[in-house]
Amino acid sequence: MTPAFTDADLARRRAASRRLGWLLGAVVLVIYLIGLFIKR
Amino acid sequence: MSTATTHTAEHPAGEYHGGLLRWLTTTNHKDIGTMYLTFSLIMFFVGGLMILAVRAELFSPGLQLMQPEFFNQLIGVHALVMIFAALMPAATGFANWMLPLMIGAPDMALPRLNNWGFWLLPPAAILLTLPFTLALFGIGDGALATGWTFYAPLSVQGGMGVDFAILAVHILGISSIMGSINIIVTIFNMRAPGMTMMKLPLFAWGWLITAFLLIATLPVLAGAVTMLLTDRHFGTHFFDAAGGGDPILFQHLFWFFGHPEVYILLLPVWGLMPHVLSTFSRKPTYGYKAQVYSFIAIGLLSVVVWAHHFFTAGMPVPALVYFMFSTMAISLPLAVLFFCWIATMWKGAMTFETPMLFAVGFIVLFGIAGLTGLILADVAADAQYHHSYFVVAHFHYALFAGGIMGVMTGVYYWLPKWTGHMYSEKLGKLHFWLTVVSFNLTFLPQFFLGLAGMPRRIPDYALQFAEFNAISTLGAFVLGFSQLLFAWNIWSCVRGGPKVESRVWEGAEGLEWELPSPPPHHTWEIQPVIK
Amino acid sequence: MASCTLETQTAPSAEVNPVAWLLRSLFPPSALLLPGAASAAYNFNFPEPVTPIARETLHIHNEFMLIITVLFVVVFAIMIYSMIKHRKSSGHAPAKFTGPTGALQWFWALIPFAILLFIDFVLMGIPAVQAIINMEDTQTKADMVLKVTGMQWKWQYEYPESGVKFISTLATPRDQIANAEAKGENYLLEVDKPVVLPVGKKVRILLTSTDVIHTWWVPQFGVKRDAIPGFLRETWVLIEKPGIYRGQCAELCGKDHGFMPVVVHAVPEPEYLAWVEAQKAEAKAAAGGADRTWSKDELVAEGKAVYEKVCAACHQPDGKGLPPAFPALAGSKIVSGPLLDMNGKVIKDSHVDRVLHGKAGTAMQAFATSLSDVELAAVITYERNSFGNQAGDMIQPAQIKSLR
Repeated sequence: MTPAFTDADLARRRAASRRLGWLLGAVVLVIYLIGLFIKR
Repeated sequence: MSTATTHTAEHPAGEYHGGLLRWLTTTNHKDIGTMYLTFSLIMFFVGGLMILAVRAELFSPGLQLMQPEFFNQLIGVHALVMIFAALMPAATGFANWMLPLMIGAPDMALPRLNNWGFWLLPPAAILLTLPFTLALFGIGDGALATGWTFYAPLSVQGGMGVDFAILAVHILGISSIMGSINIIVTIFNMRAPGMTMMKLPLFAWGWLITAFLLIATLPVLAGAVTMLLTDRHFGTHFFDAAGGGDPILFQHLFWFFGHPEVYILLLPVWGLMPHVLSTFSRKPTYGYKAQVYSFIAIGLLSVVVWAHHFFTAGMPVPALVYFMFSTMAISLPLAVLFFCWIATMWKGAMTFETPMLFAVGFIVLFGIAGLTGLILADVAADAQYHHSYFVVAHFHYALFAGGIMGVMTGVYYWLPKWTGHMYSEKLGKLHFWLTVVSFNLTFLPQFFLGLAGMPRRIPDYALQFAEFNAISTLGAFVLGFSQLLFAWNIWSCVRGGPKVESRVWEGAEGLEWELPSPPPHHTWEIQPVIK
Repeated sequence: MASCTLETQTAPSAEVNPVAWLLRSLFPPSALLLPGAASAAYNFNFPEPVTPIARETLHIHNEFMLIITVLFVVVFAIMIYSMIKHRKSSGHAPAKFTGPTGALQWFWALIPFAILLFIDFVLMGIPAVQAIINMEDTQTKADMVLKVTGMQWKWQYEYPESGVKFISTLATPRDQIANAEAKGENYLLEVDKPVVLPVGKKVRILLTSTDVIHTWWVPQFGVKRDAIPGFLRETWVLIEKPGIYRGQCAELCGKDHGFMPVVVHAVPEPEYLAWVEAQKAEAKAAAGGADRTWSKDELVAEGKAVYEKVCAACHQPDGKGLPPAFPALAGSKIVSGPLLDMNGKVIKDSHVDRVLHGKAGTAMQAFATSLSDVELAAVITYERNSFGNQAGDMIQPAQIKSLR
């Protein structure tokens, strides 16, 4: 249990999380919009 | 952008805002987890009161307490409250509290999104139930009266309660999506060094699949109810045959979300079970990889079986056969889970504290849900079961015995960790036995009601259904009031009780048990390393 | 006839459900009886099947119940054995294994899944596929067609071959529902005009709806099919035994979903043919009525009967309605408005327009499709001259006929 979470490491992890978060949000939006165009 | 990283510096461990502002603005995963769980418990009682009124009406034939319109509102809102405002927030509360502790992260990856996700819930719950209050003042004609499924054209015809519910579902959906995004990115980015995906606790795996299912299916539900809204107010005809639409399209869209939703509710609980079983059997989890693959298989299968929810709507024979066999296929990964649970117990050294009792109760009663689900998949037999009380009994075995008793397992298991106090084992066991007995008293008769031909969602019924309905109502009231024991036990445990060690349970394994009980406000600022 | 109703039948001896048998021995029906509802004899299984489909379904159900009961008992017997033997208090030392090791253990771990695979796709799957094909074959050797139309909250039945068409609504008095009167034997499962079908004939049933989705269900026929507005769905029955069969709407369809029963009289063919002839004669007499001039009193008297059968569920017997969903007719601006325009044509959104063509997006349906000229003229006249409404005018069946 030695290495502390350094600020730099944490910032890197959070930035990666934000990128993935926006990507997932965009996926949600795309599915929603496709849904609106579904016709029989 | 930098607030998230400097958060720790602004609020060092142990230092809080005071009062309401702390809870409104908190970005701490433990605070938010606590809020989710408290909200869930409150809404569990709200939804429960609704259904007790329904059961009271159904105690004997004839209309005693309410008119059919109000009855229809209660059943639909009960379902929405229990699913979206009680069960889902409970699981999200678990994730918030436990995921960072379990994977060695200092917090969730996106703390402010986390805060937002929670604070969308109370307004949504108010929107959902507000029409009841408005109707008292003569505004509108009450809440959503279409059942939780919103089937068009009934929902196109309905009053403003439908609009409130559509809005509430949108907000609840956004909240769940935010929670899911946060959980996915936390699991992907915040794991402590050495914790590979195949060393991830099964609880995290269960939640990861749940989060992906939510992201894949909630937008479809949102799309469906948006289309419903435009059909109601803006002259579109998505679900109206007269304008070239199709009412069955709504059912396809709804159940494309609705079936995965069942697994969304259950996967976190399935993830939790191996932890509890392994702890109280003092033996490592059996078949870790098999369970992970089963979670993934169930997640994938769950999005391709939706039409079994409306076999009676009529579809071509090949479609019927496909949806029947794909549904039956889910029994295989599910059987793997049952096998692993029992194999985890096998040759252990078991003790039966309250969480273990709930876990065992869960396995047995959820077994009944799984087995009846298997026969419901059969199209021919389903023609008899469908829309009847048989189905009502089946999904309450799945969602009460599976979902809610699973959540209770988790609450008893982690409550000492959260509070640092031991709950009352005596009350917990009493709560367990009352719950299990009265649950079966409530729902077992409903299987026979369905077989005898009682349709669901009717406020009044023919005389031959009287006895079983009376028994079911008695059971429901015992079940409802026993939950007060649960609330009381939690309350007293929060207030005080015998102090517990960091490793609360003798056989508990995992990072979360290495932290003190209760864990300090900020944890894992020093990274743990997993061998 | 009464011996064929749901309540009094006895379970068929051909099929014995082991679960039902066990439960019946454990809980004899008499022990479950509560005071006040002593008429019911309980079944723990489907009611007696009277069509080939229902018999097949019961057979499949019994077989499945047996299979899942065995699975349940075996699996949880193992678990309970373990819970008794492998307790800490009995000094059992915990093992350390985390998965199968070696070929033999893998073999035994995979056996349950092979069995389950066999049960799913062979033991249960093959009969299920056969049943589906059978159930969906509505057209082969069909002897006749019955068209069923669901409407809020009644069923319309139509025999296209003979042109017979009528509406069937709940016959249970409101006082029984409100507990002001003792409940009859067939409480909520009785209608004013049951649908009559011949025994031994394959009846192809076409279903549709005028408003929301309904589901036509008679448990003893083993069929349940949705009636969807704007679409035609189908199913079939071949009733093997004369009798009265009762069922209900099974899909939540609004306020009176619980109050739209299905009652089928199955009779031998000669009796059925005689019934059809009688219906035709009756329809002819009614159609004749459309051509003569009716007096206002006649129309009001007829209209009251129609109103109570068709309209009162929403607009209430006293015309006060249940606002806002179901507006009051008493004092309504629409009802007291002008009857027709100067040329004798329908005015848009007038009383006649509403009754004939309904109001889109509400439970008010277009009654032109389901009521006769006489019934329409009568009910419009009745509404305009009742509940304190004093329009004073009337409309003749012949006028309605020309407005269609």
